[in-house]
Amino acid sequence: MRLDLHGVAVHLDGRPIVHEADLLVDDGEFVALVGPNGCGKSTLLRTIYRALRPSAGLIRVDGDDVHGLPWRESARRTAVVAQETPAELDFTVGEVVLMGRTPYKPDAVGDAERCARALDRVGLAGAADRVYATLSGGEKQRALVARALVQETRLLLLDEPTSHLDIRHQLEILHLVRELGTELGLATLAVLHDLNQAAAFCDRLYVMSAGRILAGGPPGQVLTPELISEVYGVRAVHRPQLVFERLSRSRATNQAGPGASG
Amino acid sequence: MTSALQRARPVDTGGAHRRGGRFVLLVVILAVAVVASTWLAVSIGAVRIGLPQAWGIVADRLVPGLVPRTWTPVQEQIVWEFRLPRALLALLVGAGLAVVGAVLQALVRNPLADPFLLGISSGASFGAVLVLILGAGALGGLSLSGAAFAGSLLALGLVYVLAQRAGRITPSRLVLAGVALAYLFQALYSFVLQQAQSGRAAQQVLFWLMGSLGGARWHMLPLPAAVLAVGLVYLLLQHRQLNALTAGEESAVSLGVNVHRLRLTLFVLTSLLVGVLVATSGAIAFVGLIVPHAARLLVGADHRRVLPVTALLGAAFLQLVDVAARVVNAPQELALSIVTALFGVPFFLWLLRRRSVDRAVTVA
Repeated sequence: MRLDLHGVAVHLDGRPIVHEADLLVDDGEFVALVGPNGCGKSTLLRTIYRALRPSAGLIRVDGDDVHGLPWRESARRTAVVAQETPAELDFTVGEVVLMGRTPYKPDAVGDAERCARALDRVGLAGAADRVYATLSGGEKQRALVARALVQETRLLLLDEPTSHLDIRHQLEILHLVRELGTELGLATLAVLHDLNQAAAFCDRLYVMSAGRILAGGPPGQVLTPELISEVYGVRAVHRPQLVFERLSRSRATNQAGPGASG
Repeated sequence: MTSALQRARPVDTGGAHRRGGRFVLLVVILAVAVVASTWLAVSIGAVRIGLPQAWGIVADRLVPGLVPRTWTPVQEQIVWEFRLPRALLALLVGAGLAVVGAVLQALVRNPLADPFLLGISSGASFGAVLVLILGAGALGGLSLSGAAFAGSLLALGLVYVLAQRAGRITPSRLVLAGVALAYLFQALYSFVLQQAQSGRAAQQVLFWLMGSLGGARWHMLPLPAAVLAVGLVYLLLQHRQLNALTAGEESAVSLGVNVHRLRLTLFVLTSLLVGVLVATSGAIAFVGLIVPHAARLLVGADHRRVLPVTALLGAAFLQLVDVAARVVNAPQELALSIVTALFGVPFFLWLLRRRSVDRAVTVA
């Protein structure tokens, strides 16, 4: 078991944002966290990676209380890909990826190799010397995935990693992290907006509403029309509609055409 | 890390090596520039002393008898007692202010950050003026440097609190808070100066406040040199943490940086540097703004390279500024802030027109 939360509560400026959250993510599992805007899902995620402190409850990664670990140690266990990181200063892609080695002792040669391998893996081979700010949105997210890779953690947290991307790049990033999770046996917890996407990509998902986790389990069981109308205040209807899938891998990465089929 | 990554093709890491070579070359060039500008500074002045003589005097002091004497005792006194300490102080102050600027820009993630613009220099000046005009007794026996440090720490703390909203610092609030505090502290020390008994003493303090290395003597060098050396070593050891902080606070946390402790240390360090430097040379504007940007244009954003280049560039820059301040209107000396402003204001406007800054200010 990689990540488990017991009775976690979070307050921001004295206001309760998250109540009594229980949550589990196992090795090799891709778990989604969904819910309406302001339901506390991002707050909960930020608490797991220590940007915030919980006011009650326990967050354990590999059995240890994350908030009791040295900062470097928690960063060796948990990597984060958030929404596009604003970068006003002109770091190169290689330098951004190298930041993933911050929690480790410097090792110039080994780190350079790790970074180059990670860039290769996310499809940015040879981009190390480009200025990060000049990348497209999808490339920036892939660079941040590479940064998370060189951090060599067993737990990967994703905070709406696709929110600024078009549909093709959304699929590209989600497939990439999904594949990496399987290859490396990572435990992955992703805050996602699109319910259909969450359902398509995750093994299990949790639904949050008003700071509480209402339900958890396989998407087919959890995402019922009743729950969706209760949480989002909308009606879920089955209709024939376009479903978006990647083209074959080589075409999808080389071609800028619309990624829709079916 | 795992089989999946090891399977990948052999990789090209040549870019890093090429950049590394260029960096070493740049550092060598800048070191030569520092030495050359210092040599020039020691030679130029009301009494012209030839470059060979200036070199001879310094060499003779370091290794007696190394060079045949071709200079007079008066020339020797001018070079050794006045010009060399002044030139060395120029290097320390230039390097120090530039490094402070680079750290502040990383700390508050704003390209406009600078000890002067954020009111820190004015805070330090206020502390210094209190001691200079009212005497050390006024602040419970604090030394000039101590008072300037207290002033800069107070200003930086206030700016930080004022610029914060719901735990986040917004660039526009930061600059506004800094400018407001700069005015406040300027008003405060102007008031103290106006109330001073001796108008002449006040005039001198006012001139010194705009930046002057005229009072440099050997005994003034050890403190700024020690603070700068300790500060630079610490910052270089923390270069990865500084990089992570530049990419964003939450991002830094997720990379294992103890952000609260790092920020606190950087606060104290920058305040200490500004305080010590202002106490020796007054508040010199724009060095901390221009130089780090120039350094980043040369070597990119990585602090491992930015910090040494910033320090060397700042040292050489302020040395030349001081030479210009002495030469342009001789025998009168210009205040250093007048000269730096001539470079700094156009640069600042150019920076403001850049889209990235615009975005940083409006998005907030």
